[in-house]
Amino acid sequence: MTAPPEPGNRVALFHCMVLMRRFEEEVLRIAQDHPYVGRQHLHIGHEATGAGVVSALEAGDLFHTNHRNHGYLIARGADPGRALAEIMGRKDGLNGGLGGPWHLCDRSAGFQSTSAMVGGSVGLAVGAAFGLKTQGSKAISVTHFGDGTLDEGICYEALNLASLLALPVLFLCENNAKEGQRPSSMLAAKVLHDVPDALQIRSMVVDGRDADAVAATAAEAVAHVRGGSGPVFLQADLERWPGSHQTTPEFPTGVTDLSLAWEEDRIEGPHAEWVRDHDGLRAYAKKLLADGTLSQDQVLEIDRGVLAGIKEARAFAEASPYPDPSRLLDNVFA
Amino acid sequence: MTRKTYAEALIDALVERAGEDENFAMIGRGILGHGAQAHFAEPLMEKYGHRVTDPPTAEGAVASLGIGAAMAGTPMFLHFGTASFAMEAFNQIIHEAGVAHSMSGGQIKVPIVFHMFHGLRRGGSGQHSLSPQSMFANNPGLHLMMPTTPGDVKGMLRAALKSDTPTLFIDHAALLGTEGEVPDGPYEIPLGEAAIRREGKDVTIVATSRAVLWAEAAADRLAGDGIDAEVVDPRSVVPLDTETIVGSIRKTGRLVCVEEGIQMCSIGSEIAALAAEQAFSSLKAPVVRVARPPAPVPFSPPLEEAMMPGPERIIAAVKTVMG
Repeated sequence: MTAPPEPGNRVALFHCMVLMRRFEEEVLRIAQDHPYVGRQHLHIGHEATGAGVVSALEAGDLFHTNHRNHGYLIARGADPGRALAEIMGRKDGLNGGLGGPWHLCDRSAGFQSTSAMVGGSVGLAVGAAFGLKTQGSKAISVTHFGDGTLDEGICYEALNLASLLALPVLFLCENNAKEGQRPSSMLAAKVLHDVPDALQIRSMVVDGRDADAVAATAAEAVAHVRGGSGPVFLQADLERWPGSHQTTPEFPTGVTDLSLAWEEDRIEGPHAEWVRDHDGLRAYAKKLLADGTLSQDQVLEIDRGVLAGIKEARAFAEASPYPDPSRLLDNVFA
Repeated sequence: MTRKTYAEALIDALVERAGEDENFAMIGRGILGHGAQAHFAEPLMEKYGHRVTDPPTAEGAVASLGIGAAMAGTPMFLHFGTASFAMEAFNQIIHEAGVAHSMSGGQIKVPIVFHMFHGLRRGGSGQHSLSPQSMFANNPGLHLMMPTTPGDVKGMLRAALKSDTPTLFIDHAALLGTEGEVPDGPYEIPLGEAAIRREGKDVTIVATSRAVLWAEAAADRLAGDGIDAEVVDPRSVVPLDTETIVGSIRKTGRLVCVEEGIQMCSIGSEIAALAAEQAFSSLKAPVVRVARPPAPVPFSPPLEEAMMPGPERIIAAVKTVMG
């Protein structure tokens, strides 16, 4: 279990991003090794956005994820072993095996229900913001979703409610629509934040591949929301990872090699462009090296430490039994 | 005990709960509808109107507002108006509220009451007359209550408002003006306890919501013909008091199920299945269901009237099972 990165701690931010990446790579390996562990929606390529936003939050803030949720859980301190166990449907999983990869939930890390109904988490986040405001809490509500989610009617309704009631909610839109491919959103509005703009919601746009930029912009957005000035729509522009929509467990861009941050001439393969220009993790390693924050050895040392932890997490998950079928009806009613 | 209307008793429960828990919040416009009893909501609005959010016309997001707030620890009462409107939020009710507790391994609780008026209301036509109870009962993780009397609505609503399980509280606007004895002060009617409205030995009539009143009227008239009918009101559909219902069927050996929902996969279908599974050897005659015919609700008054499972249809059904 790793504490979420604190604002201004760039090494912790990088560490968090490495953890998110290595966790998802382990999920892919598990999917390769086990005949059926459900369909995976990995957060690879979104680490700069995820870790950057998480660094701007406080412990009591309530987070609402969609099906692409793993990275956020891990970034906010959920136990990787219990998270992997949940992804494998095991008894010691975060949800006792009842949620699976689309619904990881850790209330102690500030997560509410993780909805895989597209747009579901957007509505719930507005509700949580309403609850927090009713309670007089200074905590805020956050939801992340892809650009495709804006096609859903619930988003329009929920954004409208958040604006009308000036609720403390941060809408984080991970815009990974790729030009030239079928876009994940099919909106008549070509600029995503035109939608919240029309509803009088403050919008901000940031390069979602730049961890420092995301952390700074998210801090500003969170201050606005926490200050009681109503919701913010934060649009993080990303370049979709080539494995984002895959149905088979493959490593289209290869297993991450952080030494590519300083050995760029070794970047090759069909997705070399993504690795070179759009991988926020590699970009951040390169940046921290360039400004002297980290040495090559330190980068590799962080990676080795993370990998050792992931290995332990995997062993924990593998050792956990499946839940007993007699538990099926345990939590149907509260 | 005070004699009061169903509408007043319902509001009593909300006023009491709001007074006890300053974190409790309500969402909805016209909690008692827009009919003759609407003014009975005044005591609530005068005292706690600031805690009733008047929402935009956006049932899906409004349901999410309530569900998300409940997950965050604010107990909620959400009024949809006509049950037909709850269909705009069906996904949020079944896929968010209903599954959250189990799917999170027990971490998330959703203390919310979804309140709505079901059924034939005269002039509701095909889009404002829904009786969605069996549709909701076919989904996990949701309690489903259908009170009938002023005394019940107050105690059942209190139980629902204090529960950590999301509860569908399905009223009938035609009950709002009915009067009955209501205990003073707060009290709860436990979930899953049916009420025997009238004891009898010849036939069991299981009815829900407004249909209970029709069943009682039918039983009064049947008594004149020497038929002694027992009227059982399940009160809560989920959980269902199978013990009381099956006990009555075993005693009388005859069963008529009455409700405003469409007959296919209805509550009556479930009760009939229970009779077949648990009281088969006691049955002296085939079960008869009295329900809404499988047609969109027509506007024309005599056609709508013909849909209602009223006393005439119940009496005919009882005479069929009596042979």
